[in-house]
Amino acid sequence: MELKIIHFYPDLMSLYGSYANVSVLRRYLEALGCTVTVQPVRPGEGADIAGADFLFMGAGTERAQRFAAGDFVQYGPAVKALAEDGCAMLFAGTAMELLGASVTDKDGETYSGIGLAAFTTVQGSRRIVGDVYGSTDLYPEPVVGFMNKCGETHGVETPLLTGLTMGFGNEAEKGPEGFHWKNVFASELTGPLLVKNPRLLEAVAAAICARRGIPLPEERPAFPYAEAGYAITAEQLKLRAEAKQ
Amino acid sequence: MKKFLAILVCKFGRAVGKLVGKGSSMPGKFALKICPDILARVRLPQHVIAVTGSNGKTSTVEMIAAILRAGGKTVVYNEEGSNQIEGVTTTVLTHASLTGAVRADVLLIESDERYAAQSFRYFHPTEFVITNLYRDQLTRNGHPEWVYDAILPAIHPETELILNADDPLSSCFARGHEKVKWFGLDRCPSDTDAPTGAYRDGAYCPVCRAPMEYDYVHYNHIGAFRCTKCGHRKPATDYTATALDLERGTLTIDGSVTIQLAFRSIYNVYNVLAAYAACRECGVASDTAAGVINNYILKNGRMQKFTLGAHRGMLLTSKHENSIAYDTNLRYIRAAQDPCTVLVIVDAVSRKYFTSETSWLWDIDFNQLNAPQVQRVILSGRYCNDLAERFSFTDIPWEKVTVQPDIPAAAAELKAAGSEDLYVVTCFSDRDKILSQVVKEA
Repeated sequence: MELKIIHFYPDLMSLYGSYANVSVLRRYLEALGCTVTVQPVRPGEGADIAGADFLFMGAGTERAQRFAAGDFVQYGPAVKALAEDGCAMLFAGTAMELLGASVTDKDGETYSGIGLAAFTTVQGSRRIVGDVYGSTDLYPEPVVGFMNKCGETHGVETPLLTGLTMGFGNEAEKGPEGFHWKNVFASELTGPLLVKNPRLLEAVAAAICARRGIPLPEERPAFPYAEAGYAITAEQLKLRAEAKQ
Repeated sequence: MKKFLAILVCKFGRAVGKLVGKGSSMPGKFALKICPDILARVRLPQHVIAVTGSNGKTSTVEMIAAILRAGGKTVVYNEEGSNQIEGVTTTVLTHASLTGAVRADVLLIESDERYAAQSFRYFHPTEFVITNLYRDQLTRNGHPEWVYDAILPAIHPETELILNADDPLSSCFARGHEKVKWFGLDRCPSDTDAPTGAYRDGAYCPVCRAPMEYDYVHYNHIGAFRCTKCGHRKPATDYTATALDLERGTLTIDGSVTIQLAFRSIYNVYNVLAAYAACRECGVASDTAAGVINNYILKNGRMQKFTLGAHRGMLLTSKHENSIAYDTNLRYIRAAQDPCTVLVIVDAVSRKYFTSETSWLWDIDFNQLNAPQVQRVILSGRYCNDLAERFSFTDIPWEKVTVQPDIPAAAAELKAAGSEDLYVVTCFSDRDKILSQVVKEA
């Protein structure tokens, strides 16, 4: 089976090792026997994204994000159509904000997102940084990650992380984080979210496969270093979260 | 009266602090409590040089101090590296008379990039060196543009900026600023045609986001950049490395000053250039500066030679969370001729607590270790699994890679066998964990 990944703005929205999400997803799908092509989309070039199996955009600086938004708006209808159809996608870091209705930057200027969801983001001059330890409805294991953003996102009705025991969520300390609707995954947890959370990688891969009728083997592909790294991180963050309570 | 008291308290606090071995920011903190604008009330020397930026601050400041002193100037600087406002206050007041006159020809300040605006609220540098702006400690800094925005209010219109002409981002500080001197490096044999590294911070113009092009690249995204749209480009330089031969370790500045480099790294060249430019701007003669820089060995101990069993080793201190610092050292290893083993240690990312912030591992170009002379790579420390996962996406043949969580065990295994060169790549926070296992060379 041939699968197509669209990577939006890989050199512009490239903070915090965002690209690694594509690297591990590709490796996972190839381990399932799929052939994977990754098509980069650069600003101003235009691209036909119909037929995509997965869309990805990573974190960028607030100025890069605004520039990306200006280009991304042309893909709005196509992204929404793909989302409606169950196509899997991940918008990580500031890219998540572009799925919403609008983003207001720290100078108070507002620009539009693609409006896939109704949420709005307001950025400020305070940097919100810190570890996150939370849970999702997708699977029982905890989600780990690091938050590094300057915006608060309001009006998310279907978060990806339904509860946090440590860290800042969309708009509040220990509040819900990210966005999840159909197979659209979005989170401001920066960087290699799918590297750090092997279960989330499985969930994304399963969504891609389900849409294309690719059967998943009884025994899923396993990557021992990712699992071992996750186990240590989850254990240590749990200890920190408990110590804070 | 408040001024007098603040100075007195600071001097006293510093003396006590030295006796009990405490840090140097506390006395300044007390002084600021007594007299918040104390830094506006002291009489500063004719030259106040500040140095900030992501990489190379400490090395540059150290060289500037050495050159100025060789030029017969008295220099006061925050040698202990407490580079936020409290530390700066301690430095200034400790060296001031009780009436508030700083007794020196030059006040030299290494300034934390995020707190520069706070430090320079009450006085401003006469010369302000900004070495570069890279991805560095993003857990506290956000990203390089965030740091740029934090430094901007620290720049006073009367300050002369001394800027890196080869860095697309920090060179933007010259926009709308009158007094600017540029340092930079002409084309040299070790250049590449396009940016290198795991990410492309030089892909787009920091001013208008149009694609950028390069005539040549010295490393990562540092080089002769040129925006295809708005005209942002490498400017003509005032202090120029006109020839650089890293293999021989020779550097020529402005076509006439030849220097032998003790540490043959291109990053060191930028520190040398920045220091040279700052000192020349303060009136030091070029041959005085060259005399100091020639064969200058940095005292900050970023490189440490040692032996471990039959291995001759070198520790290359790399800041965690700073991919360019890592890339620097990996590039150094890649240029090595003799067979070697490389030990990479990531044990504590934060000194305070465990953090899941490992994204910077993906920003490091570990693929540079895919070189024939690198026979083995050992990954060690608490984050060895995260390292291994990162390394599995390089082209390094996996049979060369060993994962050993325990640092003393990794050292013991090395000690027991082999005599190839050994390079250790790790951070300040982790280096004692290996240095305690080896025999250090003086």
